[in-house]
Amino acid sequence: MRMLSLMRRQRALLNCAPISARQQVDRTMRSAVSRADGSVEFANQQNFDRAVATLVQLVPIPAESAEWFSEKDLVPATKWTWKKMVRNPAVLAISIAVVVIAGVFVFNFLSHLNDFPGSATARKLLSVAASTRPVMLDPVKAEAGTLSDLFFMKHGLEHYDVPPEFADFDTIGCRVFDDDESRRIAQIWVAEKRMQFFLFPAERDTKTGAPLRFPGWRYVHQEGWTGAVTEHSGVCFMAAVRGRGKDLKPHLSKAADK
Amino acid sequence: MLGDSRKAQEVFHATLREGGVRAARGEVPTEPFWLFRDARWRCLEATKTELQPESFEMDEQDIAPAAASQIERLDPTQLAVWISAAPDPQRSALALFYLDEFDYREILDLAELKLNELSRFLAKGRRQLQAWLDAKFPQAGDV
Repeated sequence: MRMLSLMRRQRALLNCAPISARQQVDRTMRSAVSRADGSVEFANQQNFDRAVATLVQLVPIPAESAEWFSEKDLVPATKWTWKKMVRNPAVLAISIAVVVIAGVFVFNFLSHLNDFPGSATARKLLSVAASTRPVMLDPVKAEAGTLSDLFFMKHGLEHYDVPPEFADFDTIGCRVFDDDESRRIAQIWVAEKRMQFFLFPAERDTKTGAPLRFPGWRYVHQEGWTGAVTEHSGVCFMAAVRGRGKDLKPHLSKAADK
Repeated sequence: MLGDSRKAQEVFHATLREGGVRAARGEVPTEPFWLFRDARWRCLEATKTELQPESFEMDEQDIAPAAASQIERLDPTQLAVWISAAPDPQRSALALFYLDEFDYREILDLAELKLNELSRFLAKGRRQLQAWLDAKFPQAGDV
């Protein structure tokens, strides 16, 4: 029964099938036409309709009425100017959205411009530095350079060496802890300018496991702290100081001179 | 719709005038095709007062493969008169359909018809026109 009604509807649609392709048709009409495509009966109907429609176009229109169908625009279309287009709320909204998106992209691009292997860990450690209090560290009064032996002998950490530029700084305390990815981090607090040093494993290649190296010193900034990071023997060293890092520059330029 | 250019012109101008007045008053209906619907009713009103064709069963024929060539031989005015002689709403259906300006949904809306009605009127119109064409321009094989 349903099938019969469907066929009837299809037949009804075919009788009203568009004459020319310029008519917009809905899905049901398209489907009915595509089913009937190729049938002689439908082809005859289409040819018949086209011939009648062509003849209808030739029915003479009285001259007085024809004037109304002049090719000229009776009402001139309003001219679009740049000024008008810019004031259009849609254009304005899209422009603002594009500027904001571009701003976010530029910000992300600039903030990752100076990225290096281990920069994410270094930023996290700057947050640790900001929240560390002296009581959290074991008191150690020595030169920073001598703590490598302590880290090796007490904690089994190889190559956790403080670079020569910072080796003669007097320490207040130190500790070794695991970060959220179970990496062993050594933290040293020095007396000078309340500076903190961090030693942590360098980022490794996921396929080969080899440490990702980078030359010289790189800077990172986080929460008002600045860190200068260098890599040596698969271990990164970071000297962290509160502020823009002008206290670090003299030590690093000394190293460059050497 | 009218088969008479003078009447068609009168209806056309009356419709435009009415549209202009409504626009000036800011009373232009929001529904689409109101101008066409208005024109159609004016055409129907205009034909009410004149002599009506006798109602009789017209012959019908299946569409012939050579129908297109028969139609080409017709004079456009003859076709207009033939369509205008059809009883309404078949006349509206044929006129709107062969204008080739509206899709079938728009015709249903304009002529206030249902799909099966429009389909029936068009199918019947084609068969009647074919019978008329056969009578007017007999084909070689016709007896």
